[in-house]
Amino acid sequence: MAIIISENRDTTTNKVIDWCLKNNTDVRRINSNLCARLSFEISDEDDSVCINKQKISANEKIWNRRGKINTLPKEELLKTPFYNYLKREEDSLVKSVEFHFKSRNSYTGSYIKEVENYKIAHLVSAKKVGLKIPRTIVTNYKEELVNFYQKNKPIISKDLRYSVNISDENTKYTSIGTFEVTETMLDHLDTYFAPCYVQELIAKKVEIRVFIFKKKMFSMAIFSQNDTQTKIDYRNYNIEKPNRVSPFKFPENVEKQLLKFMNISNLDTGSIDLILTKKNEFVFLEVNPQGQIDWLSKYCNYYIEKYIAEELAYEK
Amino acid sequence: MSTAPIFNMHSNCIIVKGANRSTICDLQRNEVKLIPNDLQNLIEQYEGKTNEEIKAQYNESDYEVVDEYLNFLVEHEYAFFTNTPEFYPKLNIEWFEASKITNAIIDINSDLEYDVIKVLSQLDDLNCKHVQIRFFNVIKFSIIIKLLDYLNETESIVSSINFVVSFTKEFSVIKLVELFREQPRISSFLIYNHTKEDVIIPLKENHTKYIKCVTKNIKSASHCGVISQEYFVPNIKAYTESLQHNSCLNRKISIDTQGNIKNCPSMSESYGNIENTTLEEALHQKDFKKYWNITKDQIEICKDCEFRYICTDCRAYRENPEDNYSKPLKCGYDPYTNEWSDWSKNPLKQKAIEWYNL
Ligand code: SF4
Ligand code: SF4
Repeated sequence: MAIIISENRDTTTNKVIDWCLKNNTDVRRINSNLCARLSFEISDEDDSVCINKQKISANEKIWNRRGKINTLPKEELLKTPFYNYLKREEDSLVKSVEFHFKSRNSYTGSYIKEVENYKIAHLVSAKKVGLKIPRTIVTNYKEELVNFYQKNKPIISKDLRYSVNISDENTKYTSIGTFEVTETMLDHLDTYFAPCYVQELIAKKVEIRVFIFKKKMFSMAIFSQNDTQTKIDYRNYNIEKPNRVSPFKFPENVEKQLLKFMNISNLDTGSIDLILTKKNEFVFLEVNPQGQIDWLSKYCNYYIEKYIAEELAYEK
Repeated sequence: MSTAPIFNMHSNCIIVKGANRSTICDLQRNEVKLIPNDLQNLIEQYEGKTNEEIKAQYNESDYEVVDEYLNFLVEHEYAFFTNTPEFYPKLNIEWFEASKITNAIIDINSDLEYDVIKVLSQLDDLNCKHVQIRFFNVIKFSIIIKLLDYLNETESIVSSINFVVSFTKEFSVIKLVELFREQPRISSFLIYNHTKEDVIIPLKENHTKYIKCVTKNIKSASHCGVISQEYFVPNIKAYTESLQHNSCLNRKISIDTQGNIKNCPSMSESYGNIENTTLEEALHQKDFKKYWNITKDQIEICKDCEFRYICTDCRAYRENPEDNYSKPLKCGYDPYTNEWSDWSKNPLKQKAIEWYNL
């Protein structure tokens, strides 16, 4: 049996399940929007997890696609003052379940890695394996930021971990992704502020998105430099005329560096964003442990979902 | 090694050469661009060469045209110049499909002659996602609701439905727009016998869904099979499928108005009746899949057409009814003159039109 932990509307999961059915691989989906029936029994004889009435045995292959196992019967609890506390308790349980699975099952993907996606640590690891990274600073005071700007302009800023999604009664705040930091913006800053994450803007030939599943890589080039709307970050989509994309093949040494990066970051799957500079250097930007696959699979005709389904099949 | 950049086509822009002209099928942006065969020739010969190497093959007097061509390709992002062509592999043109059946046609006369629910339930077993339901007589709106309710209740795998219905007051635009909102499975409505011709996009958030009103009458399956530029599908999935398979009949199953299980309702070959045969059983009959692998490369005239890999095919109505590899009867395009004309008025097609009783 293959087990997929996911969200109910995730297209990629639907497609992987289609392939599992085609291959006669039994598959079970655990959706994060529904409260799962879960018990975790620890005794002298055995430790076992039982989800939705089925005990998970050690030979089952598990893929944590997105989201997490949900154990709180929401409706009743949501409005009570206990909810946040119970959420934190649940977090500890879900992580323990993941540790348990990781220790004995084939388990790809990770809830823990997704919540603990530390961009700065990843930059350091990328540097360690020999990849280039943008000059970066995270600071909470103006003098240092202005210095950085003078030395490295033009510069950009982005979220360190969470994209902005805040609402109060009258206003909704959302982030625009990566944006260029201008001199006027700096002028308006106070001496101290909440830490912000800033990098030199790297002139690019193309952006590259690579999805890695275990040792297998699927890469795509995004020709975003032709379009001023997406020059900084291709995720500022241009809907009218989408950026040209193309399958991409890394030089072997870069492929090795990327796999080494995954290895030292303890990641067995994820999507990495890179830039190819005009001088043909590969600059590492960030990794998303639970990245988008659908787009990449479709536009490069990679059939990633088919590949994953085959990986989830029983060992012959 | 030369340091000058090399001319390279983008891998999802595919050139298809026709008898007289060619197309660039932009499989990413779902667009088709017509180009002269001169340009096709230039691309074929000089991909992988530098601007200078390309020019060296031409007279100086042609440089302007060559530059114009290259600029055109680069500006439209069909091609680019690069020092590292090894980074950009060609598109993988393999086609795979997880479902045994990808699409189905269900034909219904007003007085339900067979059990449609049974068909829908068996389509679910086959993992079929796209269904077209064609009503050849006036029906009540409630029949549509009944079918949709069934799919909702059973959480059916069917995720897109195209309805063909006759116009009555019940099928008002207001009511249909509402229905599109409530029923995400609905992809389109074709309403025939309408008072006016019109196309309506019911949802702001999804422009692929539509309501189309036509004044003509649709009385039977014989309306099907028309080839038109409107129906071209320039995307990777359809393109790669058509390289290996028939672009209409591959992985299709149909039920005609009598409940007969067929590949296409317009064909005479039946593989059992839904009363006593399951779709799965019909599918396993020897000849059920006999049209599935007929590609455009094997079809007379189509094989010289620049639209061949994005065009939908039709094997039920052929120019020469006795030849399985004859061009679709209802195509008015001539790849040798590049003209579109009304197929039904073509004197050479009259015999076949009579043969099929159209
Ligand atoms: S073969 Fe022709 S008539 Fe049959 S479904 Fe296809 S287009 Fe329609
Ligand atoms: S000639 Fe054939 S391929 Fe060309 S448009 Fe007509 S049916 Fe399609």
